[in-house]
Amino acid sequence: MNTVSSEDVQSLIQLFDTSDWGELHLQSADFELHLSKDGVARRGFGAVAAQTAPAPAEAKPATVISTISAPPIAATASAPVDIPEGMAVVRAPNLGTFYKSPKPGTPPYVEIGQHVEADTEICLIEVMKLFTPVTAGVAGIVRQALVNDAELVEFEQPLFVIEASSK
Amino acid sequence: MNLRRLLIANRGEIALRIVRAAKAKGVETVLAVSAADRDSQAAIEADRTVVIGAAPARASYLNGDLLVHTALVTQCDAVHPGYGFLSERASFAEQCEKAGLTFVGPRAETIRLVGDKLAARALAKAAGVAMVSGSEKVDTVADALQIAEGIGYPVITKASAGGGGRGMVVANSAAELEAAFDNASHEAKEAFGDGTLYLERYVQRARHVEVQVVGDGNGNILHFGERDCSLQRRYQKMVEEAPAAILSDAVRSRLHQAAIDLLSPIKYRNAGTVEFLYDEADERFYFMEVNARIQVEHPVSEEICGIDLIQLQLDVASGEPLQLIQADIEPRGHAIEVRIIAENPLNGFMPSPGRITQWLEPQGEGVRVDTAMKTGVLVPPFYDSMIGKLIVRGGDRGEALTRLRAALDAFVIEGISTNLELLRAIVGHPDFVGNVIDTRWSERVLLPSYLSSKGK
Repeated sequence: MNTVSSEDVQSLIQLFDTSDWGELHLQSADFELHLSKDGVARRGFGAVAAQTAPAPAEAKPATVISTISAPPIAATASAPVDIPEGMAVVRAPNLGTFYKSPKPGTPPYVEIGQHVEADTEICLIEVMKLFTPVTAGVAGIVRQALVNDAELVEFEQPLFVIEASSK
Repeated sequence: MNLRRLLIANRGEIALRIVRAAKAKGVETVLAVSAADRDSQAAIEADRTVVIGAAPARASYLNGDLLVHTALVTQCDAVHPGYGFLSERASFAEQCEKAGLTFVGPRAETIRLVGDKLAARALAKAAGVAMVSGSEKVDTVADALQIAEGIGYPVITKASAGGGGRGMVVANSAAELEAAFDNASHEAKEAFGDGTLYLERYVQRARHVEVQVVGDGNGNILHFGERDCSLQRRYQKMVEEAPAAILSDAVRSRLHQAAIDLLSPIKYRNAGTVEFLYDEADERFYFMEVNARIQVEHPVSEEICGIDLIQLQLDVASGEPLQLIQADIEPRGHAIEVRIIAENPLNGFMPSPGRITQWLEPQGEGVRVDTAMKTGVLVPPFYDSMIGKLIVRGGDRGEALTRLRAALDAFVIEGISTNLELLRAIVGHPDFVGNVIDTRWSERVLLPSYLSSKGK
């Protein structure tokens, strides 16, 4: 019956893009559209099952002592971060350089074992000298820090593991 | 090679193409991807892949800060922007320059210059190259008549304040122009509040021809022959060929020279394309614009010249002197490229992202497929819907056409809608085979008959 034009799809994508929705799924007799902001395939989309790609953790660049060659390319480790049951993971909201302290030489925002509230600032991410604080997003106890100071973190890379307070 | 490590700020087939070209030159590759592309073929082949942001382009491929930050932190010394996205954004080139990164493209000032219509026209004028837009603002009928004499009939009036057909009148003679001018001006004033008109030569059957060049930044410009990209739909190219078989040798060499004359004075650096409108009726060409990037259709020029243009881009970006001279470049044979698009021509050309359940590409002598697709890959809905390019080469246009037909017949893509069948219809159409098309042919001839044959 009613056909969906490319303009319709473009408008939908634009609306979705500017909305705060994470996912949009639209289906009619002869048309199906699935939009998702997390880049992860929907369950059962097409013929292939959903694949949840683990966010790659940064491998530590090897130290090479050399006067001419630049540091080697750090391999992107594909090993998934092992997250125990009941733990919350704080992920990088964007790519940038991770800093655990507000300023060099000052104590870190949080220590392992420390209690945090959802709005507690726990680290900084820097992009081109622009420093953005990251908040815990959940109240609980910081159990693991997954990234070293001044390392590059990728979009959605796990930064901290927090044991959420049970309420 | 002075470059050591290259950040690739693009996606899809061109990202993969750049990864391979860089590797072939011994340059390490860091690929910046969005979350939607972390498993792409380019990500698999790059030495390192960094997820810089969410899927929408403005959160990733269009974010200059993220890209420059990534390049610096991963210790790249150069950035290749590919085509589209930030490739012709002067501010991004400048940002790279300021960060001490080599931008694999023109200098920021060059991008600004050729991107400005008036400045680009001034360049063409200084180089003695005719332009399709024949005049400045025209105030009176008397002015119009005088200018039209200079341009030659037929001419078309256009409103300087807007488009959409308002104020546009085609005049085949002075008498027609005199009769139409005031009305056209009135119409423009009614529509846009400004009756100012200018004149263009009206080209009835226009073809789109363009010259591929590479400049070293010191005023040396090499050309790699021309392409004919007349087969378009709504100004989007569908099929590109090299050489442009309609040109006589005399016109062809004038065309090449025009492109060189235009870019040499500004010491153009990078691969680039000078686009012209070609009037078959009187064998004249008119400058349209300069594309200061590597273009989608660059492979047809590579195929007839036997040269890797991406590698050459890396050479000139790194400041190495050109190892080639013009006499080394001898275009041979004929190449044709068709763009494979994830879209449904039978449903208003609606984009058709989704999972590719089968991808079988043609192989054989003179057949090349530039793509990042394979069976099982998801075409995300966030980006351009071009998913590959099929390029064929033959000893002449006839042989290239034969190979193209066979290759298109062998191409299998399942799971999503594509334009493969439309491309087969084009390649079998007598007008295309006879090379008697123009830039409006697909809308005027091809699509009405194709769609009606499909009951649409």
